[in-house]
Amino acid sequence: MEPELAVGLPAVGSVCAAFLRARPRAALLAAGVFGLLGVAAVILTSPGATSDQLGLGLSLSPESRALLIASGAAMALTVVLAPLAVERATLLTWGLAGLAGMAAIAAAGSLELVILVVLVLAVLQAAAGSSRSLATRLRGPVLAAALLSLAAVCARAEGPQYLQRFAAVALVAGLSAALGTLPYMHDFDPDERTSTSPIPWIAFIGPVLALAVLARARELIPSEGGVLGAMMIGLGLLNMVWGCVASWRTENGAAAWHYSFIADWGLVLCGLGLAIADGQSAAILLLYGIVLSRLPLYLWSRQSLREKRPNDRPINLLAAAMLAGAAPFAGFAARVLLLRGATQLYWPLALAIGLALLLWLPPSLRLGRSLGLPRGRQAWGVGIALAINVVIGLYPQPFLALAGL
Amino acid sequence: MPSLALLAPVALPLVAGGLTAALGLAGLKPGRAIVGAGAWVALLVLLLLWLPIRSTVELTLGPLGFGANLDLRLDGVAFAFGLVILVPSAILLTLQPRTWQEGTLAALGVAAAVLAVEGSGVLLTALAGGTAATLAVIHLDIEDIRAPRPPWGALLAAWLALSWAGGILQVVGGTAVYGAVPVSALTVPVFALLAGAALMASGLFPWRGWPAQLWSRPSLRAAGMAVATLYPLGFYLLVRAYEMGDGQYPQPVIGILLACLGVLVSLGVAVRAQAAVTRREYLGEVIPGLGGFALMAIAIGTPVGLVAGLVVLATIGVLAACLPLLPDRAGPPTLLTIAAAAGVPPGLAFGALVVALAATFEAGDFMGLIGVAGAAVWILFMVAAARAIGLPAGRGHPAIETFPRVAMALAAVLLIAGAALPVVVTTFAIPAQTDVMPRFAGLGGGLTSVSTIQTDLPALALFTPLLLLGLIAYGITGVFGTQRAARREPVAAAGEQKPAAPRSAPPRPPVFTIPGLDAPKHWLDAVRRAAVPEQYRSIVNPRALEKAAAGGRPLLWLATLVALAYAVNR
Amino acid sequence: MSAAAAFIVWLGAALLVLSEGRRALALGMALITVGFAVLALAGVGALAASAILVGGGFAAGRRFRSGPDAWGVMPSGSTARVVLAAAVGLPALWISTSVMTGPGAPLRFAALSVLGLMTARVLTPSEPPAVLTALAALALSVAAAAGVAGTSPGPAVYVLAAIAAVGISLIPVRELDGA
Repeated sequence: MEPELAVGLPAVGSVCAAFLRARPRAALLAAGVFGLLGVAAVILTSPGATSDQLGLGLSLSPESRALLIASGAAMALTVVLAPLAVERATLLTWGLAGLAGMAAIAAAGSLELVILVVLVLAVLQAAAGSSRSLATRLRGPVLAAALLSLAAVCARAEGPQYLQRFAAVALVAGLSAALGTLPYMHDFDPDERTSTSPIPWIAFIGPVLALAVLARARELIPSEGGVLGAMMIGLGLLNMVWGCVASWRTENGAAAWHYSFIADWGLVLCGLGLAIADGQSAAILLLYGIVLSRLPLYLWSRQSLREKRPNDRPINLLAAAMLAGAAPFAGFAARVLLLRGATQLYWPLALAIGLALLLWLPPSLRLGRSLGLPRGRQAWGVGIALAINVVIGLYPQPFLALAGL
Repeated sequence: MPSLALLAPVALPLVAGGLTAALGLAGLKPGRAIVGAGAWVALLVLLLLWLPIRSTVELTLGPLGFGANLDLRLDGVAFAFGLVILVPSAILLTLQPRTWQEGTLAALGVAAAVLAVEGSGVLLTALAGGTAATLAVIHLDIEDIRAPRPPWGALLAAWLALSWAGGILQVVGGTAVYGAVPVSALTVPVFALLAGAALMASGLFPWRGWPAQLWSRPSLRAAGMAVATLYPLGFYLLVRAYEMGDGQYPQPVIGILLACLGVLVSLGVAVRAQAAVTRREYLGEVIPGLGGFALMAIAIGTPVGLVAGLVVLATIGVLAACLPLLPDRAGPPTLLTIAAAAGVPPGLAFGALVVALAATFEAGDFMGLIGVAGAAVWILFMVAAARAIGLPAGRGHPAIETFPRVAMALAAVLLIAGAALPVVVTTFAIPAQTDVMPRFAGLGGGLTSVSTIQTDLPALALFTPLLLLGLIAYGITGVFGTQRAARREPVAAAGEQKPAAPRSAPPRPPVFTIPGLDAPKHWLDAVRRAAVPEQYRSIVNPRALEKAAAGGRPLLWLATLVALAYAVNR
Repeated sequence: MSAAAAFIVWLGAALLVLSEGRRALALGMALITVGFAVLALAGVGALAASAILVGGGFAAGRRFRSGPDAWGVMPSGSTARVVLAAAVGLPALWISTSVMTGPGAPLRFAALSVLGLMTARVLTPSEPPAVLTALAALALSVAAAAGVAGTSPGPAVYVLAAIAAVGISLIPVRELDGA
């Protein structure tokens, strides 16, 4: 019953928060309780055990479960330590909706269920209204849904071998379109609210979605693992370089953050594409970093970006070091694993990755400064995010064990 | 002592840093006592762990999760480098005033550096060394963000390169533990990666690198700590490489290349030092100059060379404490420091350099030529030192962070320790040498002389009379009278900067100039100024490219899909 | 029967692509619904077909009751859309009958047609009613595509797709698009 509760409880919490928005405290309380119960349901779920209460065969894999827990923790961190100007009830509404969607994606027993959940989430997000047109906001997720569906058709249909390869292409392209990485970058408006921007796709829903899609891919096209991996590594390298250079050189600070997510996803794609234990571990650590550190820091930097108040205090430099993947942060451990994994497969790839890693520093310094001078709750939040990242970086073993690695 | 005590030299500065941060965040002023005490007690524990037994102690704590285990090892090498890091750190942390943020970062940096040398494998060293580098850079930036600091990118690259080397060793050889790496796994490319990391980590290049640039900062609090914690780590890697290679580098030519590089580093330093405009500028080149000699000595590949290199590193360690405490004015402290650093007899640096050059001649062949070059560079170094005595002091750093008597005492220790060279070699360097070169016979000589393969240097007998003669000479010339006169001058108020009094005499010309030395700088400036010509800028339009990529155009997406499908099915 | 159903699905999708008014959009949605329901009845069972009928029917009904009261079929500048409808339909037909082998060609054709045409509808500049209708149709096609496999996917996917279609169609149109 736990996977169903993991989906249902956050969804109920989100609905409660939406209905009670005229009474923020009640909304916060109700949503908070349901959200906590939902995360508890995730924690209590036995990884890999199937629940057939609804006839859907729901089950959470260890990696997805680990990332769901991390996402729940990140959401709790950002809501509790939200800047005063941010309405926490609204943040919780969207966050819980996303968490419910993520739990549904993670627990889905087939690729079709994943696609349907993606469509529903896309429409829900688009329904909020924004400066961008509806069609623009839906482009990425809809293309993702179509490509993933096409992949399923190609994989299942009888026919020549190249159909399986087309399925692999469609899967990778569909994943890229859902996340908003190159070459299917989502249109980004720096002034848009975070909840309706592409950021939730790439930083919140994306990690679990990627793991779910790849798990389904292994079932659908077991013989095309090499092709899948090669495409992901290729796209990964492209995103690494583009993301870093664009994050460094783009004029807008919020856009710089967006590109930095893309760059990190480049590393993740490389790790997932390696398809060996080291690559998977590297990808998981990077996803932890995205969810638990980069995303909260981005949210806390919004005010400073709007007011254009960069700063160079110790906390900014520490944040820059964390974003750059310097030791002792989680990014360094991930990079070690990635380099080792790439060396096992093909050492020139490790050289290419190693050279690309040097590009992380200039944009990270910029992003660290863009945090401004965090005060009060924000300062505590940044401190906690940094501390979590250090713990993961120095001792990743338990976090990897939680993900089944 | 239980092996768990191996954690103490790492944990104590860590705890001290944490306590300082906690007190600072609570609004209390923790001062420098806590971090200083943390470093001193760590040093004490290190001595207590090693000196009674003088054999390797290991501690295994289990996997960390990214291929490295938290395994610590205290052997001769770890002891030697631990001393080189902890001694100057403890002195500086105790004496120099810092904010609680700086104190915290400095203490954490010390902990990380000690962990780097106590780690039993390449990956743990990479993690800890990278952490030390990160903390040092942040420490330097928060002290003064506009002042020169090590290029963060280069340091990051160095420790990433080392972690890659560790990964390769694990893939090829099954392990990256120093004592367990199969010799066949340390191939030339892997060693090149490791050596590159070492050189970048310590800034060992013929051009003016970060170890020299740091000394031009307005304040030398963070600079001293950065040099004390980071500079020895590159050398540590080169020493451990011997252990991984069972006493030698993968190819003899590698040792020759590194030794040449060492001489070139020292030559570059010497050329700059003899052209220095101020004494501060000269003193900034002292540590890199000795570093070049250390590199040369370590790279020779013989036990004698390694021992000499380690003793030079010990000298560097003491100087890393001495230089930040030295005030920017003429006087006995400055004189003694310059003498100690330049390798004037009977100092420790002199003895070590003599042994190092002897080692090159004993190694023979091309190494002998390197030794000749090294000797010539040393002479140039001495000339630069002599010239530096008369230079203007240069930009001052706050008097509150200077302790002339302590600096003088440290310089005096270096000069006196020359007579005790055999003791230093026996207790400090030989244990480290035997850990990494077990197949070679240890150096002999006991406590009064240093015996090499072909020679015997009776250091105690030779240097002690020199020392006494020097003392007498200084006494006769009234240098100490100069010191008493200096004491009668008004003492600078605490925290007040004392810039050097402008001298009316024209600046001293360099001993010689090398034509074309400015050419690389001009080329670099030209490259930096380069820009796409106006008429071609529309071809390369990053903004348009960004807009196209992020525009979400369906045709572009469709084309990409087709391209992917084609690439996969080709 | 299956072939006819598949053709009806394609016709409905083409109508969705070519139309702007609520009547035509509703008719297109209805055609897609009926076609997929017939195919689901043949491949999966009555429950799946019922789910599609309910979900698609609700979406068609909602579309019929909101938006400008017009047909709006082939407004000016629709040549490209006509070409698109054919350009997606013909390759879908070829792929589903010649490239992919085995039974179930009509289902494959229907699914591929709707996937292609509805994606194109969303990716090209469109009004919110058309976009939402296309999304509802896309949800049904995702479920239908699950039936391409030799083994039946079970009715659960179809039920969920129907729920998704209903949910999408409930989104109020006037609050969207630049609000």
